[in-house]
Amino acid sequence: MASDATATALPTVPKELERIPLVSNNRSPGWISDRVAGICEGKTPAWWWAAFIPSLILAGVLLCMLAYQISTGVGVWGNHHPTAWAWDIINFVWWIGIGHAGTLISAILFLLRQKWRTGVNRAAEAMTIFAVMCAGIFPAIHVGRVWFDWFLFPIPNSNSIWPQFRSPLMWDVFAVSTYFTVSLLFWYVGLVPDLAVMRDRAKSKIRQFLYGLFSLGWTGSNRHWSNYEKAYLILAGLSTPLVLSVHSIVSLDFAVSQVPGWHTTIFPPYFVAGAIFSGFGMVLTLLVPLRRWCHLEDIITMRHIDVMCKVTLATGSIVGYAYIMELFISWYSGSPFERFAFLNRIKGPYAWGYWCMMGCNVILPQLFWSKKIRENLWIVFIISILVNIGMWFERFVIIVISLHRDFLPSNWAYYLPSPVDILTYLGTFGLFFTLFLLFMRFLPMIAISEVKGVTPHADPHTVEGGAKGGHH
Amino acid sequence: MSKTIPPTCPEPATGRTYWRSLDQVSDTPEFREWLHREFPAGASELTDPVTRRHFVKIMSASFALAGVGLGLTGCRKPEEKVEPFGKQPEGYVHGVASYYATAMPTRRGAIPLVAKSHDGRPVKVEGNALHPDSNGGTDRFAQASLLNLYDPDRATKFVKGSSVTTAQAAQDFLAELSVKFTKNKGASLAFLVEPSNSPSRDRLAALVKGVMPSMGWFTHDPVDSGVHAAAASEFFGQAVTPTFRFDKADVIVSLDCDFLGSEEEVHNNIRRFSSGRRIEKPEDKLNRLYVAEGLMTLTGANADHRKRMPSSAVIKGASVIAATVGAGVGSAADLSGEDAKWFVECAKDLLANKGASLVVAGAGQPLAVHALAYAINAALGNIGKTIEFSAGASTGGTIQQLAKALDAGAVDTLVILGGNPGNTAPAELNWAAAQRKAKTVVRLSYFEQDETSAACDWQIPAAHYLESWGDARTTDGTLVPIQPLIAPLFGGMTEIEILARIAGSSVVGAYEIVRETFAGFVSGDVEGAWRKFLHDGFLAKSAAKTVSVSLKSSAVSAALSSAKATNGLEVVIRPDYSVDDGRFNNNGWMQELPDPITKFTWDNAVLVSRKTATDLGVANNDVVKITVNGRSVEGPIWVQPGQADGVLGVTLGYGRTKTGRVGTGTGFNAYTIRTSDSLHIATGAKVEKTGKTYPLSCTQEHWSMEGRAIIREANLEQFKEHPDFAKSMNLHEPPKPAGEQGVWPKPLYPNPLDAVKPSAHHQWGMSVDLNACVGCSACVIACQSENNIPIVGKDQVRRGREMQWLRLDRYYTTDKERFKPRAGAWYMPPRDEEQQYQSWIDEVQVVTQPMMCQHCESAPCESVCPVNATAHDNEGLNVMAYNRCVGTRYCSNNCPYKVRRFNFFDYNKRPIDQLYKGPFGKRKEDEWDLLKMAKNPEVTVRMRGVMEKCTFCLQRIESAKISAKVKAGAGTFDKIPTDSFTTACAQACPAGAIVFGNVADPNSKVSKLKAQSRDYSVLEFLLTKPRLTYLARVRNPNKAMPDYYEAPLSLQEYESKMGNPFESHGGGHEAGHEAAPAGHAAEKGAH
Repeated sequence: MASDATATALPTVPKELERIPLVSNNRSPGWISDRVAGICEGKTPAWWWAAFIPSLILAGVLLCMLAYQISTGVGVWGNHHPTAWAWDIINFVWWIGIGHAGTLISAILFLLRQKWRTGVNRAAEAMTIFAVMCAGIFPAIHVGRVWFDWFLFPIPNSNSIWPQFRSPLMWDVFAVSTYFTVSLLFWYVGLVPDLAVMRDRAKSKIRQFLYGLFSLGWTGSNRHWSNYEKAYLILAGLSTPLVLSVHSIVSLDFAVSQVPGWHTTIFPPYFVAGAIFSGFGMVLTLLVPLRRWCHLEDIITMRHIDVMCKVTLATGSIVGYAYIMELFISWYSGSPFERFAFLNRIKGPYAWGYWCMMGCNVILPQLFWSKKIRENLWIVFIISILVNIGMWFERFVIIVISLHRDFLPSNWAYYLPSPVDILTYLGTFGLFFTLFLLFMRFLPMIAISEVKGVTPHADPHTVEGGAKGGHH
Repeated sequence: MSKTIPPTCPEPATGRTYWRSLDQVSDTPEFREWLHREFPAGASELTDPVTRRHFVKIMSASFALAGVGLGLTGCRKPEEKVEPFGKQPEGYVHGVASYYATAMPTRRGAIPLVAKSHDGRPVKVEGNALHPDSNGGTDRFAQASLLNLYDPDRATKFVKGSSVTTAQAAQDFLAELSVKFTKNKGASLAFLVEPSNSPSRDRLAALVKGVMPSMGWFTHDPVDSGVHAAAASEFFGQAVTPTFRFDKADVIVSLDCDFLGSEEEVHNNIRRFSSGRRIEKPEDKLNRLYVAEGLMTLTGANADHRKRMPSSAVIKGASVIAATVGAGVGSAADLSGEDAKWFVECAKDLLANKGASLVVAGAGQPLAVHALAYAINAALGNIGKTIEFSAGASTGGTIQQLAKALDAGAVDTLVILGGNPGNTAPAELNWAAAQRKAKTVVRLSYFEQDETSAACDWQIPAAHYLESWGDARTTDGTLVPIQPLIAPLFGGMTEIEILARIAGSSVVGAYEIVRETFAGFVSGDVEGAWRKFLHDGFLAKSAAKTVSVSLKSSAVSAALSSAKATNGLEVVIRPDYSVDDGRFNNNGWMQELPDPITKFTWDNAVLVSRKTATDLGVANNDVVKITVNGRSVEGPIWVQPGQADGVLGVTLGYGRTKTGRVGTGTGFNAYTIRTSDSLHIATGAKVEKTGKTYPLSCTQEHWSMEGRAIIREANLEQFKEHPDFAKSMNLHEPPKPAGEQGVWPKPLYPNPLDAVKPSAHHQWGMSVDLNACVGCSACVIACQSENNIPIVGKDQVRRGREMQWLRLDRYYTTDKERFKPRAGAWYMPPRDEEQQYQSWIDEVQVVTQPMMCQHCESAPCESVCPVNATAHDNEGLNVMAYNRCVGTRYCSNNCPYKVRRFNFFDYNKRPIDQLYKGPFGKRKEDEWDLLKMAKNPEVTVRMRGVMEKCTFCLQRIESAKISAKVKAGAGTFDKIPTDSFTTACAQACPAGAIVFGNVADPNSKVSKLKAQSRDYSVLEFLLTKPRLTYLARVRNPNKAMPDYYEAPLSLQEYESKMGNPFESHGGGHEAGHEAAPAGHAAEKGAH
């Protein structure tokens, strides 16, 4: 910049246009490092143990349930004719949906230069990975003969039988595994500079070694930064279509079939919107308490909460629109079977499930129009949980309600889950929280370097004129 | 049926012997060792004494059989010596099934059968189509009887008191009896037998009577099936047996007679009845069935007009008919109003069809109703035309008389041959105690443990009919052989063997006895006739002569005056559709067969009408206590649509206190309230709620078709006016592109089947005539037997996991007025448990549809399977590769017919008496050993986690193909001869409603049926192009009847919902769509 710039006075920003800083209280880069790394370094807080032990027990329950189901048969669940898919696929789609917010935040918002993402992206990405892990369990074990799962992969074999490439389940295999791989890589690449921070701060030999190993010899040199940012950008570019493709493809499991209530072209966009909706719901559920317990209010600010509430509101409204459009189309199609399928959702034996979904997904998020509500963390927290309950019911509505009464009334039946269904589902929470708690205890749950990049200190044009970006 | 081509003769044993090495010549231990290593399985089998003995025991008899039988005469060498294969018998090919003619004895006759044997194991029974009175169909019991052979709870030991003894000891004891009672002329010796018309048994009974003239001979028939003959004998003054010729009757009136369901000779009745229901063109004649009944039965389900009235009130209707037709008895004043009109119009229709009509009274009806029925038939000139009579036989004493003799201490030794009187005897006889009054009770029993066995001194295991020699007469009087396919698995004996020993006869072998009896029926070349008899399975021209009879009006009026007045709630007691009188109680196939009407499995229930349930303040599954005649029983309530008010329907055969592993804990025992004077209808019952509930396992929970065009029906008039009415109910297909005369453009992804169709030898298809099908369910069991379908148990059925590949969908339909509230766009069918409170279920019509894999040409299941486990073959079959299936169940979700079945647990390996022991549960050895033998070796036994479904009996197609190819030899194989084989369901169907064949062959039966105007496919608008199509049902109601409807109720429901299908001809309710159905038909006709 030319030196004469100092001569002109800085333009004063009108109060109402002033941006709320992404890190409040004018925290310095050093404070950010200390605070974030401190979560992993300090004494294990009591609340962590209080959360971790039950989670671990639940994860053990999951393990037992899986062992029981695999050894005994799918019959331990409530699935039957005609509801051949039930909680297994509901939970799969639900967890996959939750796994959407992370990559959306890290990739799409990165490409769109939404700087507020930095405060939440690391935790959200971790959530994504763990959610996809939970999701991945279900399609793998819901089949009748788990030990032949490898039939789904295109492995050359002596019988020359290939998978059936027309089947959406086949597409799922590719979509989900690609998504998981890219999300994991993206997350790990983003972690590298922060792992180096952890390495440099580590006191014990083991920590030094492990953080050192995983930080891949990061020195913070310009060359490293340059390569890192290119890699990050490329991965963001790669992940972006995946965010849209995974849930689109999951939705094709239904849309491609001819079951009334499934056979709908609206599914791909509607599933993606629903997934983002539930993903943000889960991010809020996790971060609202964590920012308080880990004293991260200055990094995950009320502005972050506010923005995420707005995203939830927007996607919730898209989902609501889709629900209503589905109803309209089923009427407009003139097909008595389609009409019946939707009427059966509204008034049938499982109407409570439908209205639960409508209430949680369409009506409740509308409360976020109010700024007061967006600022009330208790209400935000409760709504975020209800959003996820609603999204679970959305999958219940689609899968169970469509299947339990289809074309021939002789097949109609009422589905009830078994205790194993319920415990398996609860068990996945155990796995999820176990992994998440381990993550936040051992890895920086905030992207330290990125957050620093969005502080006023990092902006050379601010009055503070602080750091020239990057690493401290 | 496919006859296997006899293979070429194996190499003769004569000729030179070659050796492989010097070691072999010297037969050193080293060589033996080497041989062992080289051929470990076979070598070990022959040297290990234990397995070898087992092998010999099970297989040898039948191997000897196969040796002489195959391809020759089907007879058996009289030598009883059995040896293992030292040398393979000539003509025997391992793995190729052989067939033997035999027969299954029933209460009043026998069902001629051809039994299929694989390596000495009987694996399937089929009707003997050669028999003059058979079309190759059977009833469901014959199909299921195979499983009884392999029942692990069979009696396997000779028991004296409570200790096991030997067969020799038992035979010695019988010889002692013979000596003892020959001396005292049979005084205080009594026999209790089941009804049978076996000439050998009759002959031996006469032999016993000859040496022991004072012995007592008593017959016990739990369901009292001889009532038709007894009534006829009484009213015609001579011992006669009636045969009802439903095929010759144009108008049939059933007075509470379930001749298509629970009566005797159901398979023959169905065949005869449905021959009058088969209709090709609108001009064809159709018979008409009127039914007045209390319970909803299979017969009522097939009625053109059905009057629901308490069974005890049916006599009034009969009386009105009798008076109207001028039978000289009855009174038109017995009923009034609508009820009277119903019977009067019915009588008028009968009068218009004199000599071609038939009135039948139910076996459960009192003698007075039979009297009226015979009087009406006599007045209509039906005697000798639609009812034929042949000479009857005397039956001996009754169980009541025997009980009296026992109580009086007049019986020293009681010989019980078959049956289970401990369970089935009338309650007031207090049988268990009565039986114990005999000093010695000898029993021939089929089961190890039952209600009778506790009070027996000697128990002799009975042989199954597939392992014993015997003879019987079918109801037309034709002599049929009962020929064993296997030596008795547990060394059981037959009743003729026991009788022969007691008679002191020198000939005690069953084979010799039967042979001797047979010799009495033929003259000349006995050996030749005997061979032919065994080969054909019947003695030609041995049918009974019809006798002419005339009604004795004095007997009729005597019976009428004895009619009792009735009042209050009545209990109607029937044999069960699944377990009969209890004899199939331990048969898993029958226990799991959904009752054709209620669709229950594993249980019976107290059936009541909606109104009665409301009056009693009870609902489904409430356990009630019924008290009648001072006796009571507890059972769960079930509201049965179409049942008469004030009637409690219960069935026999359940609630056994002592039975095998399968039957234990099923249902409640209706025998406990059944006394001699009210065997079928007991009036004055009281019902109390117990406050308990009991879960019932039902395979079809929803009752209504909800106006959907699934089963399509029209009245005969409508059919005449709109011969293609079935197709007018098609939902419109996706619009075809304009400007190309409705021709579909070439699809983006062409169906590979279309490309291979022209070059394939066959294209398989099936047609099910809904007009001929009565819903008897024989096909379900035939399929289960043929295809190794496991049973899953009550708990699993309740969870909706039954495995039967073929099911019968049964819907109740109601009229337009009552359906109207449900026709609106916003109507939602109620939850299944609320159906019982809806008033429309009072008056219903029943429709039934066999539903199995439709073998869609463009199958929705195939494209969604991620592993290619289900695919199409070039002959149009949708095939399953079980080995490839991982069990995602996606195919089931995408199947609009939901005909795929998933093996949720390892149902084949699961112990039958418990739910599932978990991963380490093992089936008991004895169970598994026997059940393995029942499996058809040509069909894979599927493991858990695999999807399975109807294959159109692929194994039969393949074996027919192999036979045809062998026959063609070096010549060119073109195709299997037209209609030379069929599927198991089609073969078992007594109505001939299921027809399978090559749709590419215009001469095949199935192609001709599919060309009929009634042909339609279910859910055609999905464009799945099923290979299984249905022929729509046509009803033939009488316009004059008070309950006449212009359209069948299902059509009325459809109309309420979708509009009149005949107005906008073409099913689509849009203009410009007229061409669609015609085009569709043409397209169908083309393949």
